Amino acid sequence: MMSTTRYADAVAAVRAMENFLLRRSDLEQLINTESESERSNIIASRRGTGAEELSLESVWELIRGYAPDCDELRILLYRNDFHNLKAALKSMIAGREPHGCYVRPTGLDLDTLCPVLAAKEYEKLPQYIRSTAEETYELLTRTLDGQLADSLADTACMRAMQRDADRYGSSFMKRFAQLTTVCADIKTAYRCSIMKKPLSFIETAVCGSSELDRDQLVRASLGGTAVLLGFLESAGYGQAAGLLAESPAKFEKWCDDAIMELACTARMQPFGAEPLAAYYIAAETELKNLRIISVCKEAGIDRDTITERMRTLYV
Amino acid sequence: MTNGLVLAILGAALAALLAGIGSAKGVGLVGEAAAGVVSVDPSKFSKVLILQLLPGTQGLYGLLAAILMLSRIGVIGGSPAELTAAQGMMFLIAALPIAVVGLISAVFQGRTAAAGVGITAKKPEHNGKGIIMAAMVETYAILALLISILLIYNIKI
Repeated sequence: MMSTTRYADAVAAVRAMENFLLRRSDLEQLINTESESERSNIIASRRGTGAEELSLESVWELIRGYAPDCDELRILLYRNDFHNLKAALKSMIAGREPHGCYVRPTGLDLDTLCPVLAAKEYEKLPQYIRSTAEETYELLTRTLDGQLADSLADTACMRAMQRDADRYGSSFMKRFAQLTTVCADIKTAYRCSIMKKPLSFIETAVCGSSELDRDQLVRASLGGTAVLLGFLESAGYGQAAGLLAESPAKFEKWCDDAIMELACTARMQPFGAEPLAAYYIAAETELKNLRIISVCKEAGIDRDTITERMRTLYV
Repeated sequence: MTNGLVLAILGAALAALLAGIGSAKGVGLVGEAAAGVVSVDPSKFSKVLILQLLPGTQGLYGLLAAILMLSRIGVIGGSPAELTAAQGMMFLIAALPIAVVGLISAVFQGRTAAAGVGITAKKPEHNGKGIIMAAMVETYAILALLISILLIYNIKI
C-alpha cells in the first residue's frame, strides 16, 4: 500500500503550486507587452503577493523538501551535472574561474568540484558521473579537444540517465531519458552531418536508445543530411526530421513539447514521483518561455514568431 | 468465563481493532496530502479537513458494533451471558463484516480522499466532487455495519 501512495503530501503541495504557473492567456498577455516592467507586473499578478520569484533551484529544493528519499528525481538534474563537470574541467584547463559557467540546480557539490577533479579524487563524486569525469579529464588533457570532450560527456550523461531510469524502474523516467536521448541524438547527428564530421567523432557523439539505433543513426549521419532525414522519417520521426530541415528553433520546440507531453501524463496521478518530476519540467518550460519572450522582445521579433516559439504548457 | 464468551469478546475486539486500523491509515494518508496543500495555501484548511474526516467513520462503525455486541452479551452491563461455543462463534462471525470491510474500505476511502485533496488544491470550487467520490466508498462500510448489527441482534442467547 505504501508504494502506491508515495509522496501524497508532496503531490498535493505540487497541485496547489500548479495554480501559480503561467497559463496560455498569461503568455499571450506577456507577448503583447512593450516593456520589462509590464511583464514583471503580469507575472507578479499570477504568482500572487509575497510569492518568491520562480527559479528552478527553489522548485528543486521544494520538491526535495517534500520527497527527500526520492532518488529517481535526481535523473532530472543529470544534464546540469554533466554540464557542470564539463565547465569545471574546461575552466581548470583554461585557468579560469568556473562558477559563472555552472548551471543550477545540480546534484554535485560545486564548491568542491574543481578541487576534487584537480586532485583526481573521482571517488568523491557521485557514482553516475565518476568514470565520465576521469575519462573526460584524460581526454581533455591529452587532446585539448573541447568538442570531443563535450561529446563524450554528453553521451555519458544520456547513458547514465537511461541506466539509472532502468535501475529505479520508473516508466516515467525511462521515457524521459529515452526522449531526451532521442532529441540529443537527432540534433547531434544532424550537426555532424552538416559539418561532415568523421566516423570516429560521430560514434563518440551519438548515444543511441531503444527508439533510435545508434549504428543506423551514425551511418545515416555519415551519409549526409538527406540520408539522415530519410532515416529519421523511416524510424517514425518524420515530423521531427521535417522541422529540423526547416529550422533548428522549430525542432527545439518539438523536443520540448515531446517532453511536456510526457509530463502531462502525470497530471492525473494522485501519488508517486511522476507528478513531482512533471512539476519540475513544467517550471523549467515556463522559465524557458519567459526567457524566449524576453530575448525576442529585446531583439524586436514580431509577436507571431514569438507565439510560434512558445512551448506547450503544463497547466 | 465460557469459551463462547471469549469468542464473542474477540469478535467485538476485532470489530473495533480492524476498522480502527483502517481508519487510522486512511485518515493518515489524507492528512499527509492535506498538509501538503495547507503548506502552500493555508486558506484551504477547512476544505481539506472535510476530506480527511471521511475515512474516520469506519473506526466509529467498528466501535459502535463492538459496543452493541458487548452490550448484547452483557459485558457492559456487568453480567456476562453464559454463551456456548457455537453462540460465541456466531458473535465472532457477526463482527467480521464491519471488521474486514471497515479495514479495507477505510484504506481505499483514504486513497480516494487524498486524490480529492488534489482536486481541492487545483480547483477549490470543485471540492464537493472530491467529497462525493470519497463518500461513495462509505456505502460499503455502511452496508457491512448494517449486516453486523442485524447479525448481532438476531443471535439467540
